Amino acid sequence: MNVKRETTAKPAVMDTLEISEHQATVGHCFSDNAKMTMRNVNVFYGEKQAIFDVNVDIAKNEVIAMIGPSGCGKSTFLRSLNRMNDTVEGCRVEGDVRMDGEDLYAPKLDVVELRARVGMVFQKPNPFPKTIYDNVAYGPKIHGLADTRVDLDEIVENSLRKASLWEEVKERLHQSGTGLSGGQQQRLCIARAIAVSPEVILMDEPCSALDPIATAKIEELIEELSENFTIAIVTHSMQQAARVSHRTAYFHLGRLIEVNPTEQVFTMPEHDLTEAYITGRFG
Amino acid sequence: MDKKKFENHYMKQFDEELEEIRTRLMEMGGKVEQQLQNAIRAVSEADSKLAEDVIREEQIVDDMELDIDEACILIIARRQPAASDLRLVMMVTKAVNDLERIGDEAKKIANHAIILAGETGTSEGYTEVRHLGQSVLKMLGHALDAFARFDVAAAMMTLEEDKQIDLDYKTALRELVTYMMEDPRSISRVINILWVVRSLERIGDHAKNLCEQIVFVVHGKDIRHR
Amino acid sequence: MNNSMTNLEKIRKSLSRRNRAEGLFRWAGRVAIFLGLMAVVVLFVDIIGKGHGAFRIAYIELDIDYDPEKIGIENLSDPQQLAGADWQALPKAALNKQFPGITSRGDKRSLYGLISNGAGYDLKDRLMANPLLLGDQERVWILTDDDIDTYYKSWLAGEPYAARLSDKQVEWIAELHEHGKIRLQFNANFFTRGDSREPEQAGIRGALVGSLFTLALTLIFSFPVGVAAAIYLEEFAPKNGWTDFIEVNINNLAAVPSIIFGLLGLAIFINFFHVPRSVPIVGGLVLTLMTLPTIIISSRAAIKSVPPSIREAALGMGASKYQMVLHHVLPLAMPGMLTGAIIGMAQALGESAPLLMIGMVAFIVDIPGGFSDPATVLPVQIFLWADSPERAFIEKTSAAIMVLLSFLIVMNASAVWLRKRLERRW
Repeated sequence: MNVKRETTAKPAVMDTLEISEHQATVGHCFSDNAKMTMRNVNVFYGEKQAIFDVNVDIAKNEVIAMIGPSGCGKSTFLRSLNRMNDTVEGCRVEGDVRMDGEDLYAPKLDVVELRARVGMVFQKPNPFPKTIYDNVAYGPKIHGLADTRVDLDEIVENSLRKASLWEEVKERLHQSGTGLSGGQQQRLCIARAIAVSPEVILMDEPCSALDPIATAKIEELIEELSENFTIAIVTHSMQQAARVSHRTAYFHLGRLIEVNPTEQVFTMPEHDLTEAYITGRFG
Repeated sequence: MDKKKFENHYMKQFDEELEEIRTRLMEMGGKVEQQLQNAIRAVSEADSKLAEDVIREEQIVDDMELDIDEACILIIARRQPAASDLRLVMMVTKAVNDLERIGDEAKKIANHAIILAGETGTSEGYTEVRHLGQSVLKMLGHALDAFARFDVAAAMMTLEEDKQIDLDYKTALRELVTYMMEDPRSISRVINILWVVRSLERIGDHAKNLCEQIVFVVHGKDIRHR
Repeated sequence: MNNSMTNLEKIRKSLSRRNRAEGLFRWAGRVAIFLGLMAVVVLFVDIIGKGHGAFRIAYIELDIDYDPEKIGIENLSDPQQLAGADWQALPKAALNKQFPGITSRGDKRSLYGLISNGAGYDLKDRLMANPLLLGDQERVWILTDDDIDTYYKSWLAGEPYAARLSDKQVEWIAELHEHGKIRLQFNANFFTRGDSREPEQAGIRGALVGSLFTLALTLIFSFPVGVAAAIYLEEFAPKNGWTDFIEVNINNLAAVPSIIFGLLGLAIFINFFHVPRSVPIVGGLVLTLMTLPTIIISSRAAIKSVPPSIREAALGMGASKYQMVLHHVLPLAMPGMLTGAIIGMAQALGESAPLLMIGMVAFIVDIPGGFSDPATVLPVQIFLWADSPERAFIEKTSAAIMVLLSFLIVMNASAVWLRKRLERRW
């Protein structure tokens, strides 16, 4: 990964762990090979500000993990990347969010197209109460990606294969997707997301409802997917962030505190708040 | 960075476990320091009884190593430490290894002390042993002090002491070679002293490792092999 | 611990009190359910007890001689002759043959009073169905008059009610009974005929068909409108003062007494739009007004119960809001919506007050053949019969209530079945 060194120096005074109003993010925020760029992003829920002045790049084909305590704004941040925040009443996003240089909040941009390019996997496995086949075929159908039934079959099979689910479900493609186990359901959701060949996949705590074995399978899958997709993942499990991500971003009270290569964040984080969080201390 | 750095975990038990391995490492350091002191005294005063004590108590140091290692493995398994905690635990496992090796070297010195005490002859070489021994002992003491306070500055200064020890070691070698050339009858005795001096130099290296670990714990920077 | 009792002792001490309270609560619940069940049982026993008789009716066996002269007809295909024919003469002649020697006018009237005054038309229907019978003879079971039917049933039950019968008639019935020439038969007329002034000829077919037409219209009007309104309010409308205002008013509408909807229908549909009175169209429109709030409220509840994760999944896949609703929310909410609609329909089925206001209370003999034919509905029919003086209408009323109740039970059962059938788990 080609990551530039952020110029901001490490805060001189380490005694106070309070964050100042103009706290700049420490670490490696920017990339020469950016897929998505965020500049001065602020997110509001009504009067309440949830995200403060975030600047970060997401590089092509990287896995970037967002960690931080509950309510730190990491999910809000993730959802501002495919404008899922639009569905929340009173939510407002300021600043500049771009993908391949294109402004995602431009008035003429259609969110339907955006969400076809930026897929999302949610915390709770949420397959549609339809068959496994229909779940995966849904995206290609509504976006008109398959011309013939044969094409559609192929897309479904490929997506399920990429999500390492094909072998488990090929005999029962026309049974309900909700009858699968939790881990299989989540992989089905991933298959559904990749069926429309997005460029970026957002994952919002994809393993928080799963057991360790199912989690391991998803993590392995994320590793494989990162060859073809750019992945941003929000997780509560620091070990998971350490295992799957290339870079880790730490959010605290709506501010992006630190972005650094994962191996650095988990061995010698730059900011004391990050250190306090990942070592389980009160800062 | 001070000791405070390893407190304030949401899990109090974790604080205690980290404190525990630190304390036990310090105890082990103290024991090893005492072993080394006794070994050097046994050589310079030709006290074979003291040397036997050192050899016997080597077992205590070995047991301490096993205990601390086990505690570290338990912490890794149970707490999955990260960042500074992880560095501390890793550092402790390495430091324990270094201390144990120092203990081994002290035992070797004691072995040679017994042989030397059985021989009669001149006191050539004892000055070098005493001189180098004091330097190494001081350095080990400084390293352990630095570790107790996580004092990077002190650790860096202690690192410099190793260079002096290396110089002293080379000087001592030259002197000992001179003795052997002057009086071939003393060769077997001087070779024993040579082993002692060599052990002291190795202990200096281990003390240096300890100091490097301190820098790693505090700054997360690995300054080995640089 | 401030006294010698340990916590365990304290807990034990309070345990019996708590268990007693719980036991009491359970018993209160059981008593409530028992009382409710008793009320239902009493209702059913009473209605079935009164109404079961209506499904059977007394017939007298007579030898009918299809004598063209008596009827005053020669050609069955001549409408003018058919219209002028004296059909009642046929059973009268048969009665005379059965009880010969009756000469006085009063006795003759009593004798002819044994049979229904519609008996002649029944015979006409037989003859029309089988013209070869003309000039032939046949033994036929003839429908009795309602008073005779009432007396015969009460006489069979051992408590003769003869107030409206002459002594002669009582004798004749005893004689007929002796010869096995009077008996109770299944009352097919009750299900195949419209209303009548004569209880023995009155049926509920007209009201039943009227109810079906009215309900069909109500469903066609209210379900799509109600569902569309619910979807708009839940999924598309911005949450502001206006939608709050609308929501409050929908809830208010659900609580408006139904007779007000009748007045509204009278004012708007009949007086303003000049929809004819007494027809299923206007009835359906009025009942639509009444059931709309119910359907909107239950549909909104059904839409709300669709988990937000499904919506997120659809939007996250790039579905437009319209696709999200059409592909995911609607199918998942459909069982709830249908249940709501069926319950609304059941309510509409049992409603009479608003229909009284729009003229569906008229006495209508003909079975309606379409949405614009004058009609009445089951509850109104019950109201009309309950209001009639003839004693025979008492059992008809109860029988009609039984039909209405079984209709309601079928609807509610289908609601449950639909819910079970369509319900999906997620």
